Amino acid sequence: MSRTSRSTVRAEKTATAAVASPVNPLVVGVLAWTVPGAGHLLQGHFRKAVTFFVVLGAMFAIGLAFGGRLFPFQLGEPLVFLAAVAEWTIAVPRVVAGLAGLGGGNVVSVTYEYGNTFLIVSGLLNALVLFDALDRATGRKPR
Amino acid sequence: MTSHLGVMILFAACVSLVFGTLLRETPREELRLASRIFIGMVGGAYLVGWIMFLMF
Repeated sequence: MSRTSRSTVRAEKTATAAVASPVNPLVVGVLAWTVPGAGHLLQGHFRKAVTFFVVLGAMFAIGLAFGGRLFPFQLGEPLVFLAAVAEWTIAVPRVVAGLAGLGGGNVVSVTYEYGNTFLIVSGLLNALVLFDALDRATGRKPR
Repeated sequence: MTSHLGVMILFAACVSLVFGTLLRETPREELRLASRIFIGMVGGAYLVGWIMFLMF
């Protein structure tokens, strides 16, 4: 490939990547944080939004059903603190579960640790979904 | 559900679906990647399980 055509390809790639979403990235970020998939829905990615909402919502619900715990912010317990941060990365389900009195954590349940894993991982996956929505909104990722 | 295998399959299915949707753009590619991740997770866990069973 000649130098001219290579630079043309690079310019086209840059132009494609630079197409930012018309939606404010801050709004996208806040919505993606609160409701799984909402950031993608706002940018017109309906199928992706539905997948994220259903799967991450289901993971959070399964975590609660398995007797997982909604961890408090305890600075004295670093692992508990990190688990709380992960769970708060999926905001609305966390708030709703907290208000409903769920997530007390059944330590003697066989599935207690599985429940915690589902709760924590659903939050961490929502963080990845949030960053993806932000990348699309700012034009770092092609829409 | 209290079966370790069942929970592992459920977990792998959820995680692979999210990663497939996140990292690819067309439904076909998404499903393909999700399937590969799912097989990798479940197969890898099986393999490690057998290695631990035979060695320890």
